[in-house]
Amino acid sequence: MIFVDVLVCAAMIATAIAAVFQRSLISAVIMVGFISLMVSYLFVRMDAPDVAMTEAAIAAGLTTVIFLIAIRRTEDTESGDKE
Amino acid sequence: MRQILTPIVLLLLGAVLWQAVPFTAPADISEIGRRFVEFGVADNRAANIVTSVIVNYRGLDTLGEVSVLFLSVTGAIFVLRRREGLILATPTPSSELVATGARLLFGPILLFGAYIFAHGHLTPGGGFQGGAIVASSVLLLLLADRDRAMAHNALGWIESMSGFLYVVVGMVGIAIAGSFLSNKGILPLGLWNDLFSAGLIPVIYVLVGLKVGSELATLIDAMMHSGEKEGTQA
Amino acid sequence: MAEIILVTALGLAAVALIMGLYRLLAGPCTVTRAIALDLLTLITIPLLVGAAVWAGRAVYVDVALVYGILAFLGVLALARYLEKGI
Repeated sequence: MIFVDVLVCAAMIATAIAAVFQRSLISAVIMVGFISLMVSYLFVRMDAPDVAMTEAAIAAGLTTVIFLIAIRRTEDTESGDKE
Repeated sequence: MRQILTPIVLLLLGAVLWQAVPFTAPADISEIGRRFVEFGVADNRAANIVTSVIVNYRGLDTLGEVSVLFLSVTGAIFVLRRREGLILATPTPSSELVATGARLLFGPILLFGAYIFAHGHLTPGGGFQGGAIVASSVLLLLLADRDRAMAHNALGWIESMSGFLYVVVGMVGIAIAGSFLSNKGILPLGLWNDLFSAGLIPVIYVLVGLKVGSELATLIDAMMHSGEKEGTQA
Repeated sequence: MAEIILVTALGLAAVALIMGLYRLLAGPCTVTRAIALDLLTLITIPLLVGAAVWAGRAVYVDVALVYGILAFLGVLALARYLEKGI
């Protein structure tokens, strides 16, 4: 079971580094969603199911949508730039 | 310059955290942790000790959390409210699959959220998690059709009354048992692992779940309808 | 016997996680990454159930249940954003 934990941690670090260097904001939001997923798995492995369920309920729908609405409302309407 | 400095600062921060975080569990839990575990079931008879800590032993902190959530959502909605004369761009209408699927799935997701906050004292979960899932069900409807009719008044009433009833429940604790948000002697403690057990804990968690759910639903609705600059081409 | 089955199942899920992760990090466009996120959420559900079986507690399965129900909301929001419907 420890190999899955090591893989999950490595995936989290790699995705976090990649999320910083993305050119498109939507790709960065997708990567943040993936990191929340891995964090929830690690919380279950550390015997904290309440915290894992909070992370699941908030990150699976709400934070992604809030990010997307914020990006939509702040982009340049004429050229469709995402800045 | 910033390109070189940022990775160096991040590496230094990583080194500091590596030294500061202990990577082994402590040998013995603290005194107050031991008391929670020993007397948690005897005092509250809730199967989930985390819930009994959140609602009973640290109930005042939970009331503070609920009020902080209320303040932040009120502030956000105040900034984002609909103003007269603003034009929103018309969204692309959703396909038939999304519209029908959203209407079909709204009920089960709402029911699942209600299950999570009603069983907060038995299974992992509780008011905040269940409220977030209830808000996700409303979000599903709004994703399918952004300009649908929403019962803003009903959501506002549910939110306000839930918060008010939480404080009233605390006052009932003062009147009957002598301390704010007390759990002794108001409702029967019941059998362990029963749905109607643990005194006031399920009542409080139902109120918290309703409040958080309606709050986040109002916030998502306000964000989706926040206006662009005046006179923007629709 | 049950241990062997559990370790095999988790190993297969880990291999699938690596494949999905490659597509998430190296996908040439945003839509590829959105589909990779959906795939990775579906792979994490058996990982969570495997963690619950390893710890021997049935209550940990509720977390996988939450993900199972809410997994498609993020991808639906991304799809509605990309077709300018949000």
